Amino acid sequence: MTIFRQLLSNKKAMVGITILLIVVLVAIFAPFLTEYSPVKRVGRPHQAPSWEHWLGTTRLGHDVFARLVYGARVSLAVGFGAGLAITLIGTVLGIIAGYKGGVVDEVINFFTNMVLVVPNLPLLLVLAAFIGQASPLVIAVILGLTSWAWGVRVTRSETLSIRQRDYVKSAEMLGEPSWRIMAFEIFPNLISIVGINFIGSVIFAVITEATLEFLGLGDPNTVSWGIMLYNAQNASALSVGAWWDLLAPCFALAVLGLGLALINFAIDEIANPRLRTGGMLNRWTRMVRIGEGKL
Amino acid sequence: MTDPVLSIRNLNIDYIGAEKDFHAVKDVSFDIAPGEFFGLAGESGCGKSTIAFAVSRLHRPPALIRKGSQILVGGRDVLALTDDELRRFRWREVAMVFQSAMNSLNPVLTIETQFYDVLKAHSRISRAEARTRAAELLKLVDISPDRLSSYPHQCSGGMRQRIVIAICLALNPKLLIMDEPTTALDVVVQREILQRIDVLRKELGFSVLFITHDLGLMVQVSDRIGIMLEGELVEVNDAQTIYRTPQHAYTKRLWASMPKLHGEQIREGAQS
Amino acid sequence: MTFLLRRLAFYLAAFIAAATVNFFLPRLMPGDPIQIMFASAGSELSLENLNALKLTFGFIDAPLGEQYLRYLQSVFTGDLGRSIKYFPLPVTELLGRALVWTLGLVGIATLFSFCLGTFLGVMAAWRRGTIFDSIVSLTAIFSSSVPAVVVSLIMLFLFGYQLGWFPNGYAADPLLDPGFNWTYISSVLHHGTLPMLTMVIVLTGGFAVTMRNNMINLLGEDYIVMGRAKGLADNRVMLWYAARNALLPTVSSLAIALGTVLGGSLVTEVVFNYPGLGNTLYQAIIARDYPVIQGQLLIMTAAMLIANFAVDLSYVLLDPRLKKA
Repeated sequence: MTIFRQLLSNKKAMVGITILLIVVLVAIFAPFLTEYSPVKRVGRPHQAPSWEHWLGTTRLGHDVFARLVYGARVSLAVGFGAGLAITLIGTVLGIIAGYKGGVVDEVINFFTNMVLVVPNLPLLLVLAAFIGQASPLVIAVILGLTSWAWGVRVTRSETLSIRQRDYVKSAEMLGEPSWRIMAFEIFPNLISIVGINFIGSVIFAVITEATLEFLGLGDPNTVSWGIMLYNAQNASALSVGAWWDLLAPCFALAVLGLGLALINFAIDEIANPRLRTGGMLNRWTRMVRIGEGKL
Repeated sequence: MTDPVLSIRNLNIDYIGAEKDFHAVKDVSFDIAPGEFFGLAGESGCGKSTIAFAVSRLHRPPALIRKGSQILVGGRDVLALTDDELRRFRWREVAMVFQSAMNSLNPVLTIETQFYDVLKAHSRISRAEARTRAAELLKLVDISPDRLSSYPHQCSGGMRQRIVIAICLALNPKLLIMDEPTTALDVVVQREILQRIDVLRKELGFSVLFITHDLGLMVQVSDRIGIMLEGELVEVNDAQTIYRTPQHAYTKRLWASMPKLHGEQIREGAQS
Repeated sequence: MTFLLRRLAFYLAAFIAAATVNFFLPRLMPGDPIQIMFASAGSELSLENLNALKLTFGFIDAPLGEQYLRYLQSVFTGDLGRSIKYFPLPVTELLGRALVWTLGLVGIATLFSFCLGTFLGVMAAWRRGTIFDSIVSLTAIFSSSVPAVVVSLIMLFLFGYQLGWFPNGYAADPLLDPGFNWTYISSVLHHGTLPMLTMVIVLTGGFAVTMRNNMINLLGEDYIVMGRAKGLADNRVMLWYAARNALLPTVSSLAIALGTVLGGSLVTEVVFNYPGLGNTLYQAIIARDYPVIQGQLLIMTAAMLIANFAVDLSYVLLDPRLKKA
């Protein structure tokens, strides 16, 4: 609980959470924010932003703003869905490897390191290419299955140090089953690592989904930010001067990425007090300036 | 009486917090005479290391030495030194052995470079001269000059701590501060190192400020002892008085909480 | 030495793993794997050529194990098949040409961002809590959280289309003959600036945050306090006591970051129509030219493994604790 209270008193976290909350609300209330359907032709091709079409229209005459607010649903769903899967696999494998040790650890560690050195995006491209036009769900699933390695590595190394603590030792003495120790003694101490892993994975999933779709591996009928980029690029939006078509999803992705990154940075500061700068340093600087003391 | 090597008057140190400050050292005053072995004891977190850091002004934000505090080393006001004067003052006047024996040496530099660093920072000296001087210093602590080209990880914990002591002696400081220097070492090595310090002190004439939570060990080596409790210096007396007739209730409690030691004396005359 | 040998053995295993993915993927797909792999070829390939391609990819009339060995043999003899779109151009040759541009772009951008990011991280950590630190940290968070595709599109829009300072595509003026003369080289530099700048923006922030956090974690270490207590100059302590040690975990995280680097370069090349691996791959994806798509995975993996090995080597040089181990 304290970690959540600390998050609320951290300036970076508050800005990040606010951004995320706005995107979530936009996604939920998309039908109330725009009168247009994201998949219907509602105007002439490539109209500039105007009162009728706030962010202009695409080459096919779709309303960019409508596609943007509906597209937020896909980005968030893929981001959080895949992020959850990545974190779940990474945390479970990491705790098991770190706690069990021995052969189990060696096997998990070997595969983790192997996945880490095979470049992720090229691998995803091959997978997606064979699948054909991947729907957002398929993209989320393959992201979940291929991107857990980093999480295993950090969770494992943290588990290794927690395993040595007294309360784990005493639970072992009391003969608690190892799954209980892993779930109730070790996991609660990994909360901040898991949190960082989760938000980091969400950022990764949002970016990667958009990238795969931009490269033409997504399903072109999806309404998502990545497909918007893909369509705009295919329509040579920049060279015909329809910058709104391309820049709108760019801006949305950048804002969501920034919000999530701020939350991640804040969790890092809370988990590791040495990284914290905050109020005390400001007060310290002020006191030195007015001659209350020195170093 | 001669002028003290270290004179601390009304020292107040706070750790600044976002809303409230932590008052770590409260109005502490004491002196250390030339050649004296002075012990500072207390539980962990009582502010004794905070004092040690303040003498060389090694603190980092959010620590704050409050105005009105005074630290004199050889009569010089340490808190009034400019950055450049402070740099020259450090190690030449006050050298320091830190808590963790394993971790006081830079793991990526050779022992020789770590001697050279300090000699070059304080005098004009060639690499070759520095090497000769470093070899001499290592001899003082019974370490072969071959070790100069080693890296710290190639030396044992006790050896590393002796190397740190040799580096401390490089500039003939007036005062050697030892901040729990032996906590990470086993008892045998611990005794050996304190004996060595005692011999060197008599030979070279520096004073020692020795900080530990181990009062039993401290009584065996110190001339005078200060007892700290929650940032305050509650009792200062010669070692024998502290041992036989402690005045302050807290000192008595400290003794009561400690298993009686019957180890052999580290130096003659510490307790008779 | 044993450390490096162990790493080499591990890299070999990783490379075989990537090849294994390539081998099984078409066979795991529903439908006829041969149909999937060579569908786009249509009837343009002669039967003889098609059979040669099948042989390369292990589609032989034999048990699966033998097919697998056959495929590995092709891979390790450097035969990655032929492009279907540009038949009969061998995949290795097609990708080899592109690799030169990618290596130049990625190599220089990574090296530059690593140095810049590390330098900024060191300064920010040393001046922790100052305005400088806040600016560096916030900029770094921002630059490392924005997707490469977004950064490159915005750069292209601003400097390519709006301001017109830089060309919108190609590695050099296509009208020039490649050669070692100033006209050609300056054209390469002019065309490379925007993709390079994009990569630097995407990468520097991550390196800066990593170095800053590693260094702050070290600042409380006794050897750093002792460095200050010794009266050394501030720069000496900052660089040779703090930064030098913080560099070790930073370098090992560089190995992991290389995957992101390659991914970023793929997208950047596509946006700037830069004739590197990324763009070649993009063309192959559009044409569903599977031999090329598969070949790029192997080449990218090999590049990544070599880069990892370089990181291992530099780690051994940087950390005296590994030298005699």
